[in-house]
Amino acid sequence: MTMTLILEQTFNGLQAGVTLFLVAAGLTLILGIMDFVFLAHGAQVMIGAYAAAAITGATGNFYLGLLLAIPVTFASGYLLEFLIIRHLYQRDHMEQVLATFGLILFFNEVIRIGFGPAALYSDLPPSLSGFVEILPDTPYPAYRLAVILAGLVLALAIHLFVSRTRVGAMVRAGANNPMMTAALGINIKILFRLIFATGACFAGVAGMLLGPLTSVQPGMGEPLLILSLVVIIIGGIGSVRGAFIAAIIVGLVDTLGRVFLPALLRLVIDQAAADGAGPALASMLVYILMALVLIFRPTGLFPAKGS
Amino acid sequence: MLGYLVDLMRLSRDGIRDNRLLWLLIAGFALFPIFTHFADLPFWNDVAMRIMLLGMAAMGLNLVLGYGGMVSFGHAAFIGIGAYCVGISQFYGITNGWAHLLFSLVACGAAGLVIGYLALRTSGIYFIMITLAFAQMLFFLFVSLETYGGDDGMSIDRAAFGVVDLYDPLRLYFLTWICLALVGLALMFIVRSRFGVTLRAIKSNESRVEAMGLVPLRFKITGYVISAVICGLAGALFASWQEYVSPDIMHWTRSGELMIIIILGGLATLAGPLLGAIVFLLLEEMLPWLLGVVAPAYAENWMILFGPILIMVVMFGRGGLVGLLDRWWAADKAGRSVR
Amino acid sequence: MKKSFSSAVAAMAMMVAPALADNVKIGYMTTLSGGAGIIGKQMQNAVNLALEHQGGKLGGMDAEVVFVDDQRKPDVAKQLANRLLKSDKVDIVAGVIWSNLLMAIHKPVTRADKLLISSNAGPSPIAGENCHQNFFSLSWQNDQTPEAMGKHMQDAGVKSVYLIAPNYQAGKDMLAGFKRHYKGTIAAEVYTKLGQSDFQAELSALRAVAPETTMIFQPGGMGINFVKQWKQAGMDQVSKLYQVFSVDGVSLPALKDSALGILGTQTWSPDLDNPMNKRFVADYKAKHGGYPSFYAAQAYDTIMAIDYAIAKAGSKDTAKMRAALAAGGIPTTRGALKMNSNHFPIQNIYLREAVKDADGVVTTKVISTVFTDHADSYASACKF
Repeated sequence: MTMTLILEQTFNGLQAGVTLFLVAAGLTLILGIMDFVFLAHGAQVMIGAYAAAAITGATGNFYLGLLLAIPVTFASGYLLEFLIIRHLYQRDHMEQVLATFGLILFFNEVIRIGFGPAALYSDLPPSLSGFVEILPDTPYPAYRLAVILAGLVLALAIHLFVSRTRVGAMVRAGANNPMMTAALGINIKILFRLIFATGACFAGVAGMLLGPLTSVQPGMGEPLLILSLVVIIIGGIGSVRGAFIAAIIVGLVDTLGRVFLPALLRLVIDQAAADGAGPALASMLVYILMALVLIFRPTGLFPAKGS
Repeated sequence: MLGYLVDLMRLSRDGIRDNRLLWLLIAGFALFPIFTHFADLPFWNDVAMRIMLLGMAAMGLNLVLGYGGMVSFGHAAFIGIGAYCVGISQFYGITNGWAHLLFSLVACGAAGLVIGYLALRTSGIYFIMITLAFAQMLFFLFVSLETYGGDDGMSIDRAAFGVVDLYDPLRLYFLTWICLALVGLALMFIVRSRFGVTLRAIKSNESRVEAMGLVPLRFKITGYVISAVICGLAGALFASWQEYVSPDIMHWTRSGELMIIIILGGLATLAGPLLGAIVFLLLEEMLPWLLGVVAPAYAENWMILFGPILIMVVMFGRGGLVGLLDRWWAADKAGRSVR
Repeated sequence: MKKSFSSAVAAMAMMVAPALADNVKIGYMTTLSGGAGIIGKQMQNAVNLALEHQGGKLGGMDAEVVFVDDQRKPDVAKQLANRLLKSDKVDIVAGVIWSNLLMAIHKPVTRADKLLISSNAGPSPIAGENCHQNFFSLSWQNDQTPEAMGKHMQDAGVKSVYLIAPNYQAGKDMLAGFKRHYKGTIAAEVYTKLGQSDFQAELSALRAVAPETTMIFQPGGMGINFVKQWKQAGMDQVSKLYQVFSVDGVSLPALKDSALGILGTQTWSPDLDNPMNKRFVADYKAKHGGYPSFYAAQAYDTIMAIDYAIAKAGSKDTAKMRAALAAGGIPTTRGALKMNSNHFPIQNIYLREAVKDADGVVTTKVISTVFTDHADSYASACKF
């Protein structure tokens, strides 16, 4: 267990974290500002991944695929809000759960009918298929490095937007006190629609970035959804900053835990037991982390609503 | 004691209608096997079994979710514990059905107490997530227990309940029916009792209840334990019916299914969970068949219809199916009174 | 003369009336909806192709197949099994992809005195102490394929191997089977999360150890992701990759060239040289536009086995079909299949490599035979 291995794994954790952040950012805003339980957020990831993979497949250019898939995802979020979501804001959380669960089923089947049940072929763009030596003797896939950079840039952009612009101020106000914000004359309907579409867009970008790494298939967003729910709980609902920090923490804990926990356990208990308990514990690690945070800070690390 | 009885007499008008629907449905289940016998459709008894079991678990969850306002995303874990208690007892050679039942109920009560106590320190979405976390941990635990089959699960032999031999599927059906009726009866009393009313008051305004001098946490935990025990009962019967138990039974998607069923049927109603289970499972059976007839090439994509149906129930029906029925009832009555 | 002859024939016909009943009904259970639907679809295609090849008749009887979708849920599978038996009144229940579903329906079907024929799943309890004479496997016992992998690597003189499998029963069984024949050093035994999509962390850890070889079991989407990321991380410079059940007809269309050169063991390969297999693969390709997977081949074999059983038994009586199948010699895409005492196949296991065919499509090719007439390790524990 060398220093270089630990550093390399840290990069992996970072990459997992920024991808999680892209998904969690939209979700925390939707939940925090619109008080809407949007379970179908994972479907947005899937839509983004399919849009990018399809366009890349048709044009042969990965960057074109990314560029064109972004407005497609934005539009899908916009339309969804306009057609269905906005009618459900006043409803009970439970009814929102039911409706968005139905949306998940619907989207998965539409994709399955449209693209078939098999995984779609998508691969790295040739320009990013190489390696970068982040440390001596440690070639790291260039694409993953690019994902980390893209994620950080986007995170910075969101932060600046939310903290330095007027619209950003409206978003923050909406997160803190939606009713007051509406009372101040801000067109809350359009604001909500734009927030929703933007959140969908971020999730879609996460899907687009993950597509070449993992498989593009129906239901690919659901595991990310659960994890991002954990992230926004830890980070605090409505807070983009909280989502970022929590996402990085969760990404690191999950990655480092998976790899080092079995070895650590072997120091304390015997080999056979460690091999059995290690992976099981590693899967539970993120949930244990969440439970701990909730015990000490019941509203998360950086809650948006006035403490 | 007298006070409780007096409380019970004071049933509201809605309460009577809600009760009627519940007992109508339960009676229906009792008569159903007669119908299947004459229509020579014995397979449908199995569907009815699954509905009863799912409905029973949903009724348990509804006590805390609908009436108590505690959204527990981990109740499938209790079904799993109940089921595994039967499996594990069998594994160690205990074949007495009553012992299985006792084991299940006690284990679920204990688990409900522990999880409830830890989780009920939080509320809202945090409570949802922490119950999910506990359920996930239990799921992974059972997956890793190789002695009990891991995720391949364990085969179970149906138990002997003293003189009642459960190998006859009809006997198991009626045993389940009796349990369902008992659960329905119990919930009917609980919901109208002083305890139940307090629980509902806590859902509506917890600080007010506290201001009255009561300790909300005690009521919430009690409600949670009761619901856990009911789910455990469903789990134990389920294991007997399926003759098999595996961690799938406590996957988080099962908890989601329970919630969907309750919301579909109608939160905070007695008949809602059962009605929701009936509609949900019937849709699962009928939609693939329907698509197979109308558009055979897309038969396996039946969920494309299921999703929008759920969305429409939410968009156009407040209070789930029971709410819809209520409004239809009321409109019908209003129409009649005008004449 | 004619009269007595025809009345004799009529008398004989009446005596064997049940046997010459018009049709045979088969209940075929797979996962058609949801994420794993692609596997069920391939099996369904193969079953239909087999029926077509046999002119819609099995063993001379008109055949009807009732396809049911188990949604990968054990309770749905149990309900469907009951429906097939009580409502559709099928003569044989076949199919089943997943081990846990097979465990769930094993008792109800065998107890109803109907044959249960598995086209894929082969968990060890059913091969060993919980065996039942009404069960037949037309695929393999879960441990056999990794055992062959272990043997090959042992014989090839591999000094150390790094094992990776998902943390569930099948994963553990695979690695246990592997270790039965491989006696070299196990550099590590890593269990990943079931359904995991990103293996970069495991690959980084692997690189730090730099083992001579790596053996993986990552079925379905997990295999696609793993192999993709393996190539993207340039791991071929670090270690040689071997696999079981991870690179096959289901994952190759998504992996394409990135799978080239990877070695694995399997009981079947599209290029197996026998007339039935050649016909099957050619017709499947023509009809469905791609190579069949081993799931499809096994599904095809299941129907062919039923055809053989009814023809040899002269009826669809369970006991007679059972005897016919137990005797072995069943014509399949793997040649004439022998049956072990616990009704699992005794068959060859081959070493296969992913290569490009004449049309540039990536498929697998047999390199050598690791085991000839290999039997599973649980037969001795099985007593009917």
